Amino acid sequence: MSEDIEIQLRRALRPVEPSAGFAERVMRALPERAPRPALAPVTVLRPAPRAGLWRTLSAPSALAASLVVAVMLGQHVGEQVGREQTEREQRAGLAARAELMQALRITSRKLDLAYQAVNRPAPAPPPAEENRS
Amino acid sequence: MRSRFALWVTALLCAVPAFGQDRGLLKLPAFAGLEEKASETVQVNVDSKLLGLACRFLSSEEPDERAAQKFCTSLTGVYVRQFTFDSDYAYPKSDIDGIRRQLLSPGWSQIVNARSRKENTDVTVYILVDGGKAKSLAIIASEPREFTIVNVIGNIDLDQLHDLEGNFGVPKLEIETGKKPAASPVPAPAPAPKPAPKKN
Repeated sequence: MSEDIEIQLRRALRPVEPSAGFAERVMRALPERAPRPALAPVTVLRPAPRAGLWRTLSAPSALAASLVVAVMLGQHVGEQVGREQTEREQRAGLAARAELMQALRITSRKLDLAYQAVNRPAPAPPPAEENRS
Repeated sequence: MRSRFALWVTALLCAVPAFGQDRGLLKLPAFAGLEEKASETVQVNVDSKLLGLACRFLSSEEPDERAAQKFCTSLTGVYVRQFTFDSDYAYPKSDIDGIRRQLLSPGWSQIVNARSRKENTDVTVYILVDGGKAKSLAIIASEPREFTIVNVIGNIDLDQLHDLEGNFGVPKLEIETGKKPAASPVPAPAPAPKPAPKKN
């Protein structure tokens, strides 16, 4: 049964030679088309395929770049920290100087007070005897 | 036994420099009560570390700072307490007495005690001498409305202190010999007239 179907199918689908003049008939049946304008040759510039950054910069150069960035960043941070420290130290120094000078001025004033008290003229002596009599 | 001995020696070795450093440093009370009563309070605590910093910032262009520069590095501490009040004798004398007691300890000498009954001022200057050198200076000044304690610690060069006095507008005070003031640059007051000779 199945063999019969197969045979029938093969028979139905067997290659058949077209009749003479088939191609001409088909071409005639096609609608006539306007002739195509001549196209100017176009140069298509396609971007070159981009290679990956990692491929361009090889591992050592990437490492070197990272190092340079790290050093620069470290230097910047170091300078910043140093500047802040200097400013802090300067503020503390100026405050300490002000305190010291205030202390020394008070010391001087008190020494002056002592000097004035020591150098105060002695009280007038008692009147002479001749005046008493 | 041996380890205990070593421990004692170590403790002693540690204590000796600390003793040397604290010598001349007065234990100033907190004066907590005074601060509330006072209309103006000055508390200066310049220890050796701050002194080192302050000395670096002294300007040689200012005469008083130039004078301070000369002896600043030889000091190890400057401490001041000053309280100003709106009324007379608003501070308890016991606070002053406590400090005076500290100045009775060996080494301290009272070199000037200037008391004015008229102005009710009392200024006492003490100096701590160690090895023939002044190591600390203390001033206690009590006035009706002001009470001041000064403690200057370090190798105090009295000549340089004179420079300081001069620069701060204070006439020279002969504190080496104590008691008597030196011939001052300020014209001395006219001597009191001698009593006329007794006529017979």
